[in-house]
Amino acid sequence: MQTFTGLVSVLLVFLWLGGNLVSPLRPICDLRVLDHFVREARDSEVIMRGCRGGCGAMKSYFVPLTSVDFAVLEHMDVNGQAVEVQTGLSLLDQALSNAMKTVSNSPLANALDNNISNIHSLGQILHSLDLQQARSTVLPDDSAPASTQTQEVSSLPELLQVQSSFLRGKVRLLLSAAPACQRQNS
Amino acid sequence: MYLLCKWMTKMRSNRLKIVFMLCLAFVTTGGQHFESKVAQLLQDETEHIKCFVEGKDLTCFWEEEEERNHIHDQYTFTYSYEKKNKMACAVSSLYLLASNKTILFCKLPKTPFFTTLDVQVLRDGRMLYTRSLNAENVLFLDPPRNLTVMSSGKEGQLNVSWLPPLLKYMDDSMIYEVRYAVDGSNMGKVEVIKVSTRLVLLGLQSNTRYKVWVRVKPDGVAYKGYWSAWTEPVFGVTPPSDVDPLIVLLVIFIGLILCLLSLTVILSHHKFLLKKLWPDIPTPEHKFPGLFTVYKGDFKEWMSHNNGSMWGRSVPVYTEELPSPLEVLSEVSLTSHGTSQREERKPVEEDEEKESERSDSGLTDRWRDPPHAHWLMEQLRALQENPESRSQSSLLQSHDTYVTLNQGDNEQQVDDVFEETLPLQTLFTTAGTSSLGTSHSDLGSLQQSSGSGRLSSQSSFEYPNHTWPPKGPGYAYMAVADSGVSMDYSPMSSSRIAELGKHRMYTNDYKNEIFPHKWPLSGQYIKSG
Repeated sequence: MQTFTGLVSVLLVFLWLGGNLVSPLRPICDLRVLDHFVREARDSEVIMRGCRGGCGAMKSYFVPLTSVDFAVLEHMDVNGQAVEVQTGLSLLDQALSNAMKTVSNSPLANALDNNISNIHSLGQILHSLDLQQARSTVLPDDSAPASTQTQEVSSLPELLQVQSSFLRGKVRLLLSAAPACQRQNS
Repeated sequence: MYLLCKWMTKMRSNRLKIVFMLCLAFVTTGGQHFESKVAQLLQDETEHIKCFVEGKDLTCFWEEEEERNHIHDQYTFTYSYEKKNKMACAVSSLYLLASNKTILFCKLPKTPFFTTLDVQVLRDGRMLYTRSLNAENVLFLDPPRNLTVMSSGKEGQLNVSWLPPLLKYMDDSMIYEVRYAVDGSNMGKVEVIKVSTRLVLLGLQSNTRYKVWVRVKPDGVAYKGYWSAWTEPVFGVTPPSDVDPLIVLLVIFIGLILCLLSLTVILSHHKFLLKKLWPDIPTPEHKFPGLFTVYKGDFKEWMSHNNGSMWGRSVPVYTEELPSPLEVLSEVSLTSHGTSQREERKPVEEDEEKESERSDSGLTDRWRDPPHAHWLMEQLRALQENPESRSQSSLLQSHDTYVTLNQGDNEQQVDDVFEETLPLQTLFTTAGTSSLGTSHSDLGSLQQSSGSGRLSSQSSFEYPNHTWPPKGPGYAYMAVADSGVSMDYSPMSSSRIAELGKHRMYTNDYKNEIFPHKWPLSGQYIKSG
C-alpha cells in the first residue's frame, strides 16, 4: 500500500511537472496558414458537390455556430473568443470523424481526413498563441450538447459548409486579434 | 443614416429643413458610392435580389417593374439565418437618374457574417424573390484612397501609392488592380498587386504624361466580393532620359585620344604596316645592277657589259685606281746583247683588287701593232732559251704584256712608228740621272737623255720567294697609272719597289683599258676605269 501511494505521488509529481514545464511555442501569427486550411475546406465542399455514390449517410451532426456580428465582436474579449473557437473546433473534429465513417468515396474520404488533420493543426496554433483556454472535451457520439453555441445539421454538405464558415469567420478573427500577434505587429 | 434623412424630409419646421439639407449633403456624398454601386450591380448581377456589403452592412435591392403603376406596392423583405426566426427589414425606394430606373432596397441593421442568410422579397404577402447567400461573399468595397503618382528619379519609372478603403479586419485580404495609360491614349496596361499598397511602374516612356487608376477587391480566401469602382485618374510625368552631358563629353574625349593614338601608331609604323598589308613584289634587280635602269631590261646588252661580274659578288672598286704593274721592256739595239733585253714580264697580281690584266694587255696590244712586235717576240724566245736570263726570269709566262722602249739611237727610227712611246722615252733616263722624286703627268717635262744612256728596265719576275731584289740605284722605275684620260707617271724609289714587290706589283705600272677582254687571264680581274 505504501508502495502504491508512493508511486501515485511520483506520478502526480511528474504530471504536475509536465503541465508546468511545457516549453512555450513560438506564436504562429501568419494567417496564410489558416488561409491554406480554408482553401482545403472549400475543396472538400467542391468534392462533395461532385460526389456520386458513397458520399455519406444522412445523419445529424452537432456543429458550432458560425455567425459573426462585428458590432458584438468588438465588445467581446479575446478569451471569450478563444473558448468559443476551441469548442467549435472540437465539435467539428468529432462531426467530421463521424461523417468519415459513412463515406466510401475515396477522394471525399481523403479530403475529410485532410480537414481533420487541419483542425488538429489549428489547435496547435491556438496553443502557440496561448489561447487554448478550454480543453477539448470528448463528447459521446450520440449525446446532444447542452451548449447554446451549437446547431444541428442533417447532412454532410451542410457540415462542410459550417466548417468552411467557421474557419473563415471566428477562427480567423481570433487569430488576427490574438494578443501574441498584436505584440509582434506593434 | 439614409433612413433617418428620409424620415426627416417629412418634418416641416425650418430647423429640420436645414438639418435635412445637411443630411442630404451627407447622403449625396455617401450616396455617390451607394448609387454607383447599385448602378454597377444592376448591370452585372443576374440574381433578382442583388445584395452587397458596404462597410459592415448588407444591402439588398431589387428592381421595380415599370409596368406597375407607381402606387406603392406592399413590399416586404425578410431574412433569416442559422435556422432562427425570420426578421423583417424596412423597404425604401431610390430613383436612379442615370438609368431612369427605380429600385427598392433594404439595409440589414445587424448583418451576420460567416453564416448563410436566407432573404425573401414578398409583394403583397406573396413571395416574389428568394435568395441564400453569405454576407462575407458579397463585399463591395469603396475605391482606394489617396492615390499618388510620383517620379522615382529613374528613367521610365513611376512610383504609385495609395491607401486601402476604411475597413476593419480586412486589410490583409485585399487585392488591387492598377491601370495606367499614356495621357490621351486609350490603350492601358493593368498590374495586379496583393496586399501591398505600393507599386513601381517599369518600362515607361521617358518624359511622358501618364494616367493611373486603382481599384480593390477582396482576395477571395476569407472574403469575396466585387471589384470596386476605379479611382479618379491621377497624372504623373516620367523623367526625361538622362543623358549626362559629362558622360557624353568624357566619351568624346576618350574617343579622340584613342583616334590620335591609333594615328600615331599607324604613322610611325606605316612602312612596316604597308609592308605587311601591301608587300612589295620581289624583284631580282639587286642581283642585276643596271639591268633595268640603264639597259631597260635588255639582258643581252647588259650581259655584254657585265660579263665577269654577273655571278660573282660585287667587289667595291677603288675610285682611285691602283697602279697596275706594267713591265716595260727596254728595247736595246738590235745588235746588243740579248740579256739586256727583257721581254716578258708577268703581270703580278694582287690578291685583292687589281687592275685588270686586260688593261695591260690592251696596251700591249696597241703597242704590238707596229711591225717590231714580231721581232720582239723572237727576242723573247731567245731570251727564254738563254739560261742566264732564265735565272733572272725564272718564270716566264706565255702571255705577257710589255712595252717597248726606244733608246735615243733608235729613236728616229722608231719614233715614227712608236709614236706612242714618245712619252715614255722622255721619262726614262740613264742610270746616272735620277728623277725619283718627281712625278709628272706631262712627260714632256722630263729631259730626254742624251741618248747615251741605255734604258733598261727591270723585268719583274716572279721569283720563288716573291721578293723583288732592287736592281740598284741605277735604275729608275716609273709607276704609271692611267686613268684613261691622262697618264700619271710617278717615279718610284727602289724601296717602294720592294714594298710593291711584296705586294707583287710591277715596277712600272701602266694601265690600259682598251680591249681588256681579248687577253686571257690567269685569274680574275676587275675592270676598272
